[in-house]
Amino acid sequence: MIHLLLLLWLSGQAPSSEALAHLQAGVQADKQHDVDVAIVEFRKASELDPKSTDAFVSLGQAYLEKRDYGSAVGPLKHALELAPDLLPAHRLLGYALLAQGYAAEAVPHLERAQETGALGIAEVETGQLKEAVTHLQAALEQQPNDPDLLYYLGRASGLLSKQSIDTLLAAYPDSARAHQAMAEGYFVLRQMPQAEREYLAALKLRPDTPELHLGLGNVYAKSSQWEKAEAEFRAQSKLRPGDAEAAYSLGSALLQQGKARAASAELQRADRLRPEMPETLYSLGKAASLEGDAAAAEKAWRKLLSIEKDSALAAQTHFALAGLYRKQGKSAEAERETQEFQRLQNSNPQSQQ
Amino acid sequence: MKKRELLRTLVGAVCLSVLVLGAAAPPPALLELKQPRGLDFVLQNSPTPQKYLIETMPGGIALLDYNNDGLLDIFLVNGGRLIDPMRMPESFDRLDPRYWNRLYRQNKDGSFTDVTVQAGLANAGDGNYGMGVAVGDYDNDGYPDIYVTNYGKNILYHNNGDGTFTDVTAKAGVAGGGWSVSAGFFDYDNDGKLDLFVTRYMDWDTKRSKNCGQEWHTYCPPETFPAATNILYHNNGDGTFTDVSQRSGIAAKKGRALGVAFADYDDDGFTDIFVSNDGMQQFLFHNNGNGTFTERGMEAGAALSEDGRRLSGMGTVFQDYDNDGRPDIIVTELPREIYGVYHNEGGGVFTYRSLEAGLGVLTSGSSGWGVGLEDFDNDGWKDLFVAQSHVLDNVEQIDPSLHYKELPLLALNHEGRFERADPGTSVPTASRGAAFGDLNNDGWEDVVVTVLGGPPQVLMNRGGNRHWLVISLRGTRSNRDGFGARVRVNGQTRYATAAGSYLSSSDKRLHFGLAAADKAQVEIVWPSGMHQSLRDVRADQFLEVREPEKP
Repeated sequence: MIHLLLLLWLSGQAPSSEALAHLQAGVQADKQHDVDVAIVEFRKASELDPKSTDAFVSLGQAYLEKRDYGSAVGPLKHALELAPDLLPAHRLLGYALLAQGYAAEAVPHLERAQETGALGIAEVETGQLKEAVTHLQAALEQQPNDPDLLYYLGRASGLLSKQSIDTLLAAYPDSARAHQAMAEGYFVLRQMPQAEREYLAALKLRPDTPELHLGLGNVYAKSSQWEKAEAEFRAQSKLRPGDAEAAYSLGSALLQQGKARAASAELQRADRLRPEMPETLYSLGKAASLEGDAAAAEKAWRKLLSIEKDSALAAQTHFALAGLYRKQGKSAEAERETQEFQRLQNSNPQSQQ
Repeated sequence: MKKRELLRTLVGAVCLSVLVLGAAAPPPALLELKQPRGLDFVLQNSPTPQKYLIETMPGGIALLDYNNDGLLDIFLVNGGRLIDPMRMPESFDRLDPRYWNRLYRQNKDGSFTDVTVQAGLANAGDGNYGMGVAVGDYDNDGYPDIYVTNYGKNILYHNNGDGTFTDVTAKAGVAGGGWSVSAGFFDYDNDGKLDLFVTRYMDWDTKRSKNCGQEWHTYCPPETFPAATNILYHNNGDGTFTDVSQRSGIAAKKGRALGVAFADYDDDGFTDIFVSNDGMQQFLFHNNGNGTFTERGMEAGAALSEDGRRLSGMGTVFQDYDNDGRPDIIVTELPREIYGVYHNEGGGVFTYRSLEAGLGVLTSGSSGWGVGLEDFDNDGWKDLFVAQSHVLDNVEQIDPSLHYKELPLLALNHEGRFERADPGTSVPTASRGAAFGDLNNDGWEDVVVTVLGGPPQVLMNRGGNRHWLVISLRGTRSNRDGFGARVRVNGQTRYATAAGSYLSSSDKRLHFGLAAADKAQVEIVWPSGMHQSLRDVRADQFLEVREPEKP
């Protein structure tokens, strides 16, 4: 990076030869990862040519490489005094300030440099959550699955969500949505009686709110109260017949109760609403197997395996197929599926949990 | 009054009567919690802040008629005293009477008398923390002997036939060692002498104990400690046993065993072994008929859940729940895992049928230990009883949706599908062992459950009008207890055993509900291979069947 900056600078300026020699020595040292020597050389260059923005930018960059963020700030600010539009200096100064916790000061520099990822992180720190989400999402488009960006996007979204909920709870504490928000919080904390109480309070206020039935159904499902879960998921499905999640949840609740035929109908509906969802296909196979329809079970599970090949769910599916074939007396097929199950289990220890 | 009005009045009256009938109190529970006089045992598990794993695992119970007076007596295994922290060498204060195992003799009036001292059972070994019990007449003298498993050394008590027992462990060579849990007598080689299988949980001791959990300290999950092998002892017929664990192939598989049950699942005439393991695959040891066993859980479809997940196997029972003549397996587990029902399809193959059997609704929020398949309502279908409680005594702090103390599960069998019934108690407890038998000889099965830190729960069957038959086997060529015999009565099958459940030993008599039938057709296949048929046997009787000495 330093070399690039140097070339850019050289094309527009004419430093003294001595300063240039130190600058080049710094670049060489940096190439050899000798940051301390590079810092000495860049400092000499900046002293010999105090108007050399390149010398100051390079010095700031070298300090950043050494993770000496405090020392980087001075040279970079000086570079910007000399050339206020120098984007590399804005970028580096933004990073240096952010690294030291001066997020608010970092923001304008990162904005100027259009450094969306770091800008988003700085905005999380300064509480500009909406902007943070926008910038982090933009950065993730450029760098998909970057763990830091994903983390900060999650954090920003979470804080934004909390902000909204706090406002809701403060402004309308007795509203259905406030009870719903409380219920969801209790659900996360696995405090099911409290979650149930809040969902019921919300439903009393606004019985036609569909998410409430889904949420309450999940509370009952988590507490293994499958009949009650079924009733809530059914209510959700009635209110929102196009909701694939509700159809899947209803099918699963029926399956848990051994009501294979009814489960199968709901799971097929879920599959039509949102085709090729592996979880739906797995449960469809289970329901068919429970009904004694081995062909339908095999078909659903084979379809799942054409979508997912190496996941924990794929391992489960191979195991389920082994059971199906074993029951049919197809020992070789059962053995093959068992081996595939074991292979995937060994390669994916999470599937054993 | 016009005809139409009359009709309306009549309809109204009928509707009212229906409403009144509908609003009537439900029928009384089948089982009823009783406190028999004299049964003053308290299971001392001694929980400590150290969360020593053994604290949450005892204790066993046996229902046996030790003095052959026709009344079931009760033997209870105690834990011991743990201190915080334990010192080496480990001592559990078993000489203190509070920590003794206890034998209670049943009196004719249904009360019990503590006969521990006169029976010679007071000394359980100071270095032993008690776990379970197995009962069987290993020397075929007609008196049931007692084997006590421990964290420490196990003890075999020979029944002298005069109300006393003698510790014959050293001579018999069955002390084992380590952490033994459930055990059972069975005759694996059909030589007419009962052999002994002992499960071991893990390679653990108080010195290597850990405190798990983060915010709250908890007992550690099983995988924290190394697995252990189980032990198979062959009965030499001279009062001694030989450890054949290696030779038989049993020791080839290390596990974290808690429960064991026996039955001949593939109908080849040799008794097989099912071992419930905690947090790993279950073991199905197929008896090869030549003194060796092959573990076939995975290939038989009895190792994992339907979804290929490992089970927290605890208690187990190996009996035919759907009256198809083949023994099925039920395994009790932790919450979020439905108790496993492995249905025997024949041909050595099992399918996981927990959902079909209705256990998805009944068990996914509970932790099960002792378990039995007994026909409590005498309708001809074996019902399910499970002693329940979470393993962690502070589970509510970790997951408020779960509970340490639970009610037992009683689920009545409706042609292969279980439905919840009133368990006869509304007091949640930390239950562990469970043994089944007819305590008052009324033809209706009762249950006794052990409770950590408390007295046992005795659940007496209120009885009813249906018919029943109780069969005592008297082996001659086969082992005297007839363990391993397959007994078929009016389309129901039982495998003769006292083993199964968790840490416990049940009444060895075979109980059959006959519903409305006042006669029974009885078919017995003895371990010797002898077939015996009894036609039109009168219902409502205790019948001793002696094995013919000649084919």
